[in-house]
This record gives sequence, structure tokens and C-alpha cells, in this order.
Amino acid sequence: MKKAAILFLFSILWIGLSAQAIDEDLLKVKNRLDSIVSFSTQLKLEVDISFINMPVKKAQMFYTKGKKVKFSSDDFVMLPKRGLDFSLNSLLEYSFITVDRGMEQRNGRSYKAINIIPTDKRADFSIATILIDTKLRRVMESEINTKKDGAYLLTFLYNSDAKVLPDKVTVNFEIEKIRIPINFMGKDTQLDRKKMKAAGTKTGAIYLTMSNYQIKSVLYNRYL
Amino acid sequence: MQYLLKAEIRKLFKQSKTYYALGALFSIELLILFSAYYQGTTIIDLLLENLKQKFYFEGTLLNGNLLIYLILNTLWFHLPLILMIIVSGTLTSEYKDRTLQTIMLQPVSKWKFILSKYIVAIAFTLMVVALLAISSFGLSYAFFGKGDLVVYLNGLNFFDATDAIKRLQWSFVSGALSMVFFSVASLTIAILFKEATKTWIVSAFFLILSNILLKVDFGDNWFNQLFFAKLNDTWQYFFYYTINWQQIIFNSVLSLIYCMLFMGAGIYWFHKKDIG
Amino acid sequence: MIISGTNLSKVYGKRKVLDNVSIGCASGEICGLLGANGAGKTTLFKILFGLITPDTGKVVLPNQSIKPIGGIIEKPALYEYLNAQDNIHLFASIQGLQLTKQEIATHLIRVGLPIDRNDKVENFSMGMKQRLGIAIALLNNPACLVLDEPFTGLDPLGVSSLRKLIADLAEKEGLAIILSSHIIEELSKLCHTLYVLKEGKLVNAGPAQQLIAENTDVYNICADNIKQAECLKNYQVEFKGNCAMVTIAASAVPYLIQLLDKEQIYITSCTPELSMEKLFETNR
Repeated sequence: MKKAAILFLFSILWIGLSAQAIDEDLLKVKNRLDSIVSFSTQLKLEVDISFINMPVKKAQMFYTKGKKVKFSSDDFVMLPKRGLDFSLNSLLEYSFITVDRGMEQRNGRSYKAINIIPTDKRADFSIATILIDTKLRRVMESEINTKKDGAYLLTFLYNSDAKVLPDKVTVNFEIEKIRIPINFMGKDTQLDRKKMKAAGTKTGAIYLTMSNYQIKSVLYNRYL
Repeated sequence: MQYLLKAEIRKLFKQSKTYYALGALFSIELLILFSAYYQGTTIIDLLLENLKQKFYFEGTLLNGNLLIYLILNTLWFHLPLILMIIVSGTLTSEYKDRTLQTIMLQPVSKWKFILSKYIVAIAFTLMVVALLAISSFGLSYAFFGKGDLVVYLNGLNFFDATDAIKRLQWSFVSGALSMVFFSVASLTIAILFKEATKTWIVSAFFLILSNILLKVDFGDNWFNQLFFAKLNDTWQYFFYYTINWQQIIFNSVLSLIYCMLFMGAGIYWFHKKDIG
Repeated sequence: MIISGTNLSKVYGKRKVLDNVSIGCASGEICGLLGANGAGKTTLFKILFGLITPDTGKVVLPNQSIKPIGGIIEKPALYEYLNAQDNIHLFASIQGLQLTKQEIATHLIRVGLPIDRNDKVENFSMGMKQRLGIAIALLNNPACLVLDEPFTGLDPLGVSSLRKLIADLAEKEGLAIILSSHIIEELSKLCHTLYVLKEGKLVNAGPAQQLIAENTDVYNICADNIKQAECLKNYQVEFKGNCAMVTIAASAVPYLIQLLDKEQIYITSCTPELSMEKLFETNR
């Protein structure tokens, strides 16, 4: 009897504590995203980095809940390490706490900003800031500071209010300018000393446009 | 005139040294192909180093197209070297064997004779480049398949497979023009020096000098634009992301003019000189 | 005269290679050009061919045919990596002649070459190369043939058969033939006319036999019992085996032979020993 009572107390405390660590709105979005069992989509990738010229690339993306995202393409494609995980699972994989940062404005609309700070050493990022559309229950923006791969800023665009999977994602990041010995390959490039000095860390972006989503999902409780 | 041309073609293909040269060229091409393949991974890694941090890659860049590009990079040195030996040899061997004298003892027009040598030299050069192109495309694709091409030229340029093929083909066309220039030059040098070894040395020197001068920057003036050595790199223009057709056409026309000048000078000197 | 070069001179640097040389040859005539190595024979020929321009003088060539003059300079120069038929075909085609296999065979037969040999010319003997060179020189039927030292490098059999070929070409085909050599014996047996070149100058010229007779002081007379000849005591004689080198003028030779005959000494041969010094003395 005593044992049962102690267990009961612990579970209530535990639930209470957990409930305090995770922001409610975040949970709502997460549940919504968790209802997606799998999906596939056609990706269009556009690279916008100053020293890279690449034509628009096409690829297929396959997501299955609980598994790693898969890609297939006929050509060579460059995929950003972050930004392709729409389910938020990569951020919420290990234990974390959230901090409410209030509302932020984007394009004349207000979104809720939440910090996600992992408490487990195994997490690969140090802090992430998410902007959530509380009304439409989806993520609008995500700024992730990874431990090894630098910082990413992801912006999500949706074509209609009902959608939870984005139609367009912009991934912004920092990238070091390429340093390759002059005579290495190909035509000798014009030695622009000024440009070389200005080289260093630059920002780059990659634009992902999704189309033709094939989604398999389970019903979820909107009111949970 | 057509008989002179036929006779020249016959002479060229009846000599074993022509086949040694062709054999050497194909062997070199094979060698480059496979060594490029083994080096290819290192090259790609080097190019994509600072991108690896932020991206992962699907598909392989180590395919036939990259290897053809690497072949192209080295082709334009050893190919003209061998071509110059064969082409100049068509005249120096006639001096050495004195068959030139026997020919001039027949009712043959001097300028027509040397013109036919130039024409056959040009045709031979084009044929060799075409064969090398076909074989490098064929072998590269057969062993390594097609795919996207990455080129480092003022930045990283990625080309779709179909786009890459087109650019590579145009590069061979452009390179062929450079090769024609060197062949014509070597024949003109042969007219001046007559003797085989001297001609080889001067021709090789000319080639090496052209390659060195190619790297020197004379500044952004007319000399840099018009100097013949600068024209041998025209094929590289096909690997800028946007092809500057105007520049390429300008360079090509200029190359042709240089060819004509060397050819004209050669014919003039040959016609003027005593054969005795 | 079917071919003539008049007052030809050529200077190379400080050296006068040819000095006012005139030469000519008529149809059916074999003309010999005698001179030591470096006398200017090859230069003269090159001028006749138009390979070199003379400083003075002019060359008059036979009729206005496609190929008025054919010949060989120094050694015959052929494409060693081709066979005889290919060589003829090649040289014929570049001067506008399209020869059939049969016609090529005819050309080969004309100069005494086998028609069934298909190997490369580099395997040919010198004599065969000379013949092939002549066959090529004869393409397009020139009226005049010029051969520069054609007997060089030939064995005795080769020399005699080539001599016969040249004689036939002159006699039967009416070609004007000019030969050069530095060996008088080769020319004396063949030529009608002789020209003597010394250091670029023409020192002697005339009908061959006349020139030889004029410049011969010694005759080599051979007979079995020549040493017993009484009539020879009147002459300056040097005996060598069965032969006697007799210093005697050409005109006196027939009389001496009659005297020997009377003594029943029957000669087996009588050869003029040409005096080169006399021949090369300037006599014009």
C-alpha cells in the first residue's frame, strides 16, 4: 500500500515536471506532426552560395516516422544537413527543456518564439529557437545552433492554412569561402587580391521547393 | 591538286611511324583515364571540403564526365607534341631522303605541293582529335558512366550531365583548332629548318613557350587579347557557368587568322627557296 | 640542240662553283660530263633542272611538253617504305598521270626491273634503285634525260647492263642523254660527246673519240709474244706481262699494228691510256 502510494506520488510529480518542461504549443505542433506516418515528396533544390554555380536540382524525398529520411535522385544533389527534418524529431530526440521567449513579428504576423535547450549531452545542437504559428499549429522558422556543423536558419512557407508540411523551405547558413591552390585544376583564375582578402565566412542559402506530397497519416486529436 | 593530296595521304599512312604515334596517343589517353580515376576521389574531396560540413551528397561526381574533363586538361600538351613530330616529319623526311628533289624534278608546282602537305596535315590533325574525342567519350562512359560535372573555375561550377556533355564536345572542337595551329606551325618550322632533329627541338620549344606564355598575365590590354599563346586556352571558356560565346568566337577567328599567316609564310618561303 | 645551257655561272659565297659553262645535247646523242669530285657537275645539272637559278646565262629546254627534262641527281631518291609499283604510281599521279597496273608494269619492263617483286624499295640493290630512278625520270616521256653519276656504287655487271639500257634509250627512243662521271672509262664506252669540267670551268669539249685520241699518248697493246716485237724498239715502251705500254700518237697506231702483224705478232687488245693531265689542261 505504501509502495503504491509512493509510486503514485512520483508519477504525478513526474508528469507535473514533464508538463512544465515542454511548452504546450510546441507539444501541439509535435503531436500534429507525429500523426504523419510517412510521406514522399518531390524536391526542387536551388543553391544560392556566392562561389557555387549549380543548376536547379530535382530529388525525391521519403520520410518514414522513426526512421532516417531517404533521398533519391538521378543527378548529383547537395542536401543541407539540417532543414529536411520536418517532424521536429531531430530536435526533440533527447531530453530537453523549453523556454518561452514571447512573440515575434514576421511579415506583419505574430509568432511564438520558443527556445529548445537539450539537457542530454548526446544531442548534436546546443540551442534552437523555433517560431510557431499557434493558431495554425505549425512551425514558421527554426534557428539551430549545432555543435559541429555551425548554425542554420530555416524558414518555412505554406501554400494554405491547413498544411502542416511546408511547400517551401529556405535554409540559411554560414559557409567558409573555398580555398583551393590556384594552379590546381582548370583555367587559372584571375587573381583578385581584394576579393581574396574579403573571403572568409560568408552566408549561403539553399531553397527547397516541395511538390506532389504523398502523405500517409493517422487521425490525430486536434484538441489535445 | 587532288592527286597531290591523295599522294600525301598515301605517304602518311604507309609509314609505320604514323601508327606508332597513334598508338602512343591512345596509350597515353588510357593511362590518363585510369590515373584520373584513381586521383578523382581526392580531387573531388578537395573541392567539396568546406561544403561537407553543411551538406551531404547524393550521386557521384566521379563519373565519365569528370574524367573526360581531366583528360582534356592534359591533352593539349602531349597531343600537339606528338602531332608536331608527325606533321613536321612529312616534310623533313622528304628532305632527308631527297625525295623532295625527285618530286621537284617532275612537273609539279612547288606551291601546290607544299599546300597539299598543309591541307593533309590539317586533315590528319582533325582526324586524330576526333578519334581521341570519340574514344575518350566511349571509354569514359563505358567504364565510369555519366553524371554531373564539377569544375573549379572562379568558383565551383556544377553542370548537369547533358549540359556537361555538350560543353565537353565543344571543348574538343575548340581544342582541335589549337592543335591545327600547332601542326601548321610545325610544318612552317620544318620549311625553315629542313632537318628533322632541329625541327623537333624548335617545335617543342615553340610549344613549351606557348604554354608558359599562356600563364603570364600581360594585363588587360590589346596584346593580351590578341597574342596567339593566349588563344590556346579557349576551350576553358566552355566551363564558365555562362558561356561567353562572343569571346570564344573572337578567339577562334583569331586562331584561324594565325594559322593562315603561318601557312602563308611557309608556302612563300618554300616557293622562294632553292631545293638544291 | 635539244637542250642547251649557255654561259652558266654560279657563285656560292666566295666560291665560284661554275664559271661561264656552256653545254648542249641533241636528240639521240649521249653526252658525257667528266670532272673530278667538286668540279661543279651536280650544280650544273641542278641549273639545267631549274632547281637552282644561275647567276648568269640561260638554259634552253626542249619543246613545250609537260616534262621536257627528266633525270636523277646524285643518288636516286625513292620512297623506301613503298614498293616499286607504288613509287611509280605515286610519282606518276603527282604529275597528272593515272597509270593502270599494266602501264606500271610496262614502265618497269622498259628499265629491266622485275614486275613480280612487291617488297619495299629499301630492300633493292643499288642497280635496281638506279633503274627505278630512271623509270621515274622517264615518266611523261621527257625528250632529255640527265643522269648524275649513274654508275656509282654498281658492280661490273650492273655497270654494263645500265650502259646497255642508256644506249638503247638514246638509239631506240631518240632521247638526248647527259651523263656525268669522274671515271673516264665509264664515259668513253658510251658517250658521243664529251665535256670536261675542272674547278667550275669547261676546259675541253668535243666528240668523245676525238677528244680521247687527242689526249692519249700511251696505248696499252697486248699480244702473246709482244716482248719479241722488233718494231717496238723505236718507241718508248714499258712491258707488263703480255702487254706493252707504248708511247705513241693515235694516228700512228694503225701503222704499228700492221708492223706487228708482219712480225706475226697478233694483238689481242689495244687500249688507249688517256692522259688525264692533258685532258684536264685548258684547251679551249
